[in-house]
Amino acid sequence: MKRVRISRCATQLLAGRTPRRPSCPCAAGLQRDITPHDYRIQARSLSTVAIEKDSELDIGTPDPTSSQPAAAPAPPAIPHRKRLAPEQLPSPHPFAASHSTKLSALRARLSLHQRFPLQTLARTLVHPSADPDPAFNNASLSILGANLLGYYTTEYLLCNYPRLPIPVIFAAQHAYTGPKALATVASEWGIEAAAEPGGEVDPGLLQFRRLRSGSRVPAALRRQVPWKWNVTTTHRIVATDEFGSDNTPPDPQSLSAVPVPMEEAAQSFVRALIGALHLHLGSPLVKRFYRDHFLSRQLDLSTLFDFRTPTRDLSKLCAREGFEAPVARLISETGRASRHPVFVVGVYSGKDKLGEGAGASLEEARFRAAAAALKAWYLYRPIEVTLPSSMEGELDTRKWKPNMVDCGEVIV
Amino acid sequence: MSTCKTLSRISVPTLPQTTTLLKPTHLPLVQRRHESTTRRHKKLLALPEAPSFTPSRSSPTLIFNPPSAAPNVYHTPLKFLPKDDKRRALYATHQAASTQAAYRTHTSPIAAPGTPLHAASSSSHLPPRPSASLPPALRAPYEKKYHLTDKDIAEIQRLRREDANRWTRVRLAEKFGCSQFFVGLVAKNEAKAERVRESHEKARERWGAGRRMAREERGRRRVLWGRDA
Repeated sequence: MKRVRISRCATQLLAGRTPRRPSCPCAAGLQRDITPHDYRIQARSLSTVAIEKDSELDIGTPDPTSSQPAAAPAPPAIPHRKRLAPEQLPSPHPFAASHSTKLSALRARLSLHQRFPLQTLARTLVHPSADPDPAFNNASLSILGANLLGYYTTEYLLCNYPRLPIPVIFAAQHAYTGPKALATVASEWGIEAAAEPGGEVDPGLLQFRRLRSGSRVPAALRRQVPWKWNVTTTHRIVATDEFGSDNTPPDPQSLSAVPVPMEEAAQSFVRALIGALHLHLGSPLVKRFYRDHFLSRQLDLSTLFDFRTPTRDLSKLCAREGFEAPVARLISETGRASRHPVFVVGVYSGKDKLGEGAGASLEEARFRAAAAALKAWYLYRPIEVTLPSSMEGELDTRKWKPNMVDCGEVIV
Repeated sequence: MSTCKTLSRISVPTLPQTTTLLKPTHLPLVQRRHESTTRRHKKLLALPEAPSFTPSRSSPTLIFNPPSAAPNVYHTPLKFLPKDDKRRALYATHQAASTQAAYRTHTSPIAAPGTPLHAASSSSHLPPRPSASLPPALRAPYEKKYHLTDKDIAEIQRLRREDANRWTRVRLAEKFGCSQFFVGLVAKNEAKAERVRESHEKARERWGAGRRMAREERGRRRVLWGRDA
């Protein structure tokens, strides 16, 4: 058997360039009329139909001669190199990816395009702790994917809920694309972890060096002392990650050859998959993938609020916006002299009711009504929203509608 | 038991028609029908259905009758909408249309608005008038007066400094017609505050396990108010 150079094998084994359009001229029209019964198939067929411009869908494999962006920089070719046994490799050989049933099943399960190479999919499953070589692990892809996930989530939140306070945005970011959410997504996709990484392991398994039970989490993942103690909101927005942490997150490559928990490896896989999809399939399909797998997760934003002084905040808000001062009014009550009274209090500004709350005491009902009024203010949602990422590469700027930018949360 | 007794007692005078005419009696001679049979009782129980469950048309319609619940916070009140939001115009159109529809439908000329008879005879409800009275306020609304001058404030500070036990925050607030919060703001007496805090601490030390736990639970429940839990 002829020896395959590692740097080229990934590109050689990719599927050949197939005609993107169906060969039959009527097939496209027929495909549009068929209503697929499976949602995933529907999403796939929609993904090819809905895009007007051909250039956006050019997801063919790159030329073998040209350098592939996802592929690693080629190591210097050694003329006489001994063939290594698979057990000696830190992670599975890319050649094994095309034979792995697990990888093919995963690609089909995620309804990824056939031209998304299995070799790249296998690479996204290799955590730096398993293979420290940046050419074969998913560190670079996960950095790209983390940035894309943060961008799409922030854009969705800021455009759809322009009045959200910044702590709530951080919490929502964490709920949509935080480490725990990504690990949950990975487990829902059916990702299984290898007991120990190695070249002989099936490439469809998540490869990472496991943290032995009872041992401490590595120092890079541990909660660290912030670099200064008064961490301001500006610092959280500018200097740290998208979740408003105290510190910057650890560099993925810094975790090489360090035992890590499963959650860390799973989230790096999901991020790397997003990055790889962006490189191979382009941003429209990544956005669709993001919408189907991340934004479709239901999150009730109204449960993320934690008010301490809602009555004071509300009167500040009314003064700021030029409304009449809020007045709490008793709408109904029952059992005032009993052990379990219920009061329903509404907060009115002039003739308009801003919020309503029920409680076991007048104070509680008033507190809850003010909190409900503040939530109604913060959870305002514009009717027409144009996401900035939807205008990427558009030449026709008439579709762009400027989004609402609010003057900010109430600061007491 | 009691019903049988009353029935027997009432039904006595109506039995012999001729004799009652002859005999003088105090009871009026009106024929009465008593709900004494099972059929009549059953008929009484057959109440008309709620208007929301009885559509006016025979064709299948959507019945929307949700149980009473807290208002949805995702529904932005009209006052909180920005100036250029389309929902303002939509609300105004809906208000006008519903008012016109309510006036157009035939209502009973006798039934007073707001009564169940009126609601049953007319399928649509009039939206509340702008002049409708609001529910009573929890506290009497007040205007901030900003009437204290620098001289008054100096006087407050002097009194508080000289005799903090005599001139408490409550007394000063009553004397100068301002809030206790304002008194604490301009004339804070650290020594007195410390003494009060110590006395409270001493009182708290005498609490038993039950009272202490109850107070802590109350504080924890209060935190949950702001989280809507």
